[in-house]
Amino acid sequence: MIAFTVIGGYLGAGKTTLLNHMLKFNQGKKIGLLINDFGQINIDAALIESRTENQINLTNGCVCCTLVDGFHVAIDQLCEIRPHLDQIVVEASGVADVHNLAQYGRGPGCELDGVLVVADAETVIEKAKDKYVASTIRRQLAAADLILLNKIDLLDDATLAQRLAWLKSEYPGASIIETSFANVPVELLLGIHDSGKELSEHQPFEAYQRGEHAHYSTWQYKSNEAVSRSSLEHFLSGLDDSVLRAKGIARLSDGETLALQVVGSRRELNQINCDDTGLKMVAIGLKGQLDAEFLELLAENSFHSRHFSL
Amino acid sequence: MITIFKAKKIITMNPSNPEATHVAVRDGNILGVGSFEEVSGWGEHALDDTFANKIITPGFVEAHAHVMAGGMMAFPYLGFFDRYLPDGSIAKGIKNYDELIETLRTVDAGMEDPEEQIVAVGFDPIYFNDQPRLTRHHLDQVSSTRPIYLHHASGHLATVNTAMLEINGVTKELRLEGLGKDSDGELDGELREPAAMSLCKTGARAVQFSNSTPEALRDFAALANNAGITACTDLAGAAILAPKQHALWQSITLEADFPMRVIQYNIAAMPGASTDFEEMAEKFVELRRGETDRYRFPGIKFVLDGSIQGFSALIKEPGYFSGEDHGQLLTVPDQLKDWLMPFHKAGLSIHLHCNGNKTQDLAIETLEEILCESPRPDHRHVITHAQLTTQAQLRKMSKLGLCANFFANHIWYWGDQHYDITVGPERANQLEPCASALREGISFSIHSDAGVTPLGSLHTMWCAVNRVTPSGRILGEAEKITAAQALKAITIDAAYQLHLDDEIGSLEAGKKADFAILEEDPLSVDPMAIKDIGVWGTVLNGVKFKAAGR
Repeated sequence: MIAFTVIGGYLGAGKTTLLNHMLKFNQGKKIGLLINDFGQINIDAALIESRTENQINLTNGCVCCTLVDGFHVAIDQLCEIRPHLDQIVVEASGVADVHNLAQYGRGPGCELDGVLVVADAETVIEKAKDKYVASTIRRQLAAADLILLNKIDLLDDATLAQRLAWLKSEYPGASIIETSFANVPVELLLGIHDSGKELSEHQPFEAYQRGEHAHYSTWQYKSNEAVSRSSLEHFLSGLDDSVLRAKGIARLSDGETLALQVVGSRRELNQINCDDTGLKMVAIGLKGQLDAEFLELLAENSFHSRHFSL
Repeated sequence: MITIFKAKKIITMNPSNPEATHVAVRDGNILGVGSFEEVSGWGEHALDDTFANKIITPGFVEAHAHVMAGGMMAFPYLGFFDRYLPDGSIAKGIKNYDELIETLRTVDAGMEDPEEQIVAVGFDPIYFNDQPRLTRHHLDQVSSTRPIYLHHASGHLATVNTAMLEINGVTKELRLEGLGKDSDGELDGELREPAAMSLCKTGARAVQFSNSTPEALRDFAALANNAGITACTDLAGAAILAPKQHALWQSITLEADFPMRVIQYNIAAMPGASTDFEEMAEKFVELRRGETDRYRFPGIKFVLDGSIQGFSALIKEPGYFSGEDHGQLLTVPDQLKDWLMPFHKAGLSIHLHCNGNKTQDLAIETLEEILCESPRPDHRHVITHAQLTTQAQLRKMSKLGLCANFFANHIWYWGDQHYDITVGPERANQLEPCASALREGISFSIHSDAGVTPLGSLHTMWCAVNRVTPSGRILGEAEKITAAQALKAITIDAAYQLHLDDEIGSLEAGKKADFAILEEDPLSVDPMAIKDIGVWGTVLNGVKFKAAGR
């Protein structure tokens, strides 16, 4: 399965900066990037291995493509690359309906990872009321799993607080990362490398023992006991918004195996085929925000208290 | 060699010499239009009286069509309304599911390879609102083994059978939105929007690439020829993006028996999806050096929004009458001016697709800024579709010298739906406001947007004149125009928008000898009979092209 991410956001929000950042600091992930225009993206010449009219191959295993015959043809081409890409990232045009684009990530061979929408902290409210793009901007924000509120360096504290309050009241439950220069750890945007492999190929869970990184923290949980679906649901609904991503795998008491996925505000449990036993989870959040103690308590409460059998 | 064509009546569309009986032609050009005495003085000639009992008008100019109209001919047709075929015959409209199944069974029975897929086009569920939705189970009655892909008329939906789902590995476990499911959670065979449609790749691609074949172009031309059209736009070309297709068109349009002029407006796109519009404008200007008599590229087209019946056109207050508003711009409004300016400055013609009137505000405002910054008298930029144009917009368009290209066929094909569902009575009555455009002195054409609706200038003219819907409603008496006004909109005024009015669109000395040959006079028949006037065929560059089946 190739993870599939859509990057949306209106003109000037910082999508291109974000994409450049992703390609440069890909953290070992082989990313296939679908973009609107090579002209906008400024790839370090030293990174370019080869290029054709519609494709640029990078030395770090990433690939950039532009659209010629539409999305499905381009996505098929990316899926056919061997060895497999880890991740497909689609840059949506400034007016695209990111929710519709995300559906391509639900086809066979792909797994929808996230819809990330970059919003310009300075102009987002104004644009959400604009005569021509109000509905477009609102649709984008509503479809976002993670909203990257960018360019906060241009705002004073009071204005920033006002923008955040507006976003939270208009989009309750939205997961928001405040940032400048779209400088967000790639792990938060795309997940930790190998996490997919870890879960599907049953490598030792200890591979996650990475502890704290410069900008983000991880929290992990492991139990050898089978759990119930309702306890997983209880855990997911109890997560606070400091958890920006989480991934897990759980064997249920009835033998079924579920994959747990959290990307910002989207929380999913999907049935998968896997022989693993017990429960393994890893959560990621911003350093200083992710509350390991709280998560520990929540997990204990969800998986070891008797609430689910009541 | 001079040929003098004799007609019962020649309608010239030259206001200075409106009617005649003879037209003299040499080397594809008109020497004179008038009485035999007036045109016979040019020298030795042959008199051709093939049209002695017929009416000659300027060859019709279809100002908004797509080669897709030809591409679709590769597939069986399952639309609600009758469709004309390139061979001159008619594919009857499908009025119920039994007919649909029967039509597909006939296709199935005629195919040798049991595994070959059937791809069919034209179906539109909007006309079957009183029946349960079409599902895979209907199509399974045609075949449980042969994959079937039914591409809907809107382009946004497909219905497929179980075999098609199976060979593409589409299962109910996929959680893709747009994958239709019934109340039991089983797949129902409906695929909504491109992501879901592309799951059944073979079908989706057959449709997508059907426009790139020589047959598509030849069928397109045959359909035009049968309808009296001698100049037809292809309004979403990709000359620079798809050089192979461009080369194919160049060679086919050079064939001596190719019966029409193709006026291609390209979508502003280049390989690498470049958005360097300055460079693109230069390339389009350069491209024009390769123009031939029957293949021209006067400008570019931008698609700014969706459609009204798809609720994806961006419309002004008070919004849609019923249904959910999916209004959406397809171009970033803050970039539009920067994108258009290089083409405007390069002297190219600009056509902006606006179905919704809020989108049209954006188009008009942007063009106003462009024209103030970089005045260009006689630019003739066009708002195409312009279906919900308001009176205020017409006044402004008039001041700015903008042209309108109204989608008159909508009055017939979706007029009832617009009245009852999409925009409600008042605005439906003002749809395609041709008479208001005349009052404001705006030059306008009317179009089919073929293959969205069938090519047929007389039918389009009939729509604008009668404004009648399938339920018998008159959609806006005050916007009716006369037959003479409508004929102007499908000849000289359409040519004007394409910057070709010095060559085609009227019959005058020095212009191309391009005629539509009609059995009856469209200006004197009962207006309700205009669409049924027989078309003998056309004359292009003085050469006769008889319609198929005549």
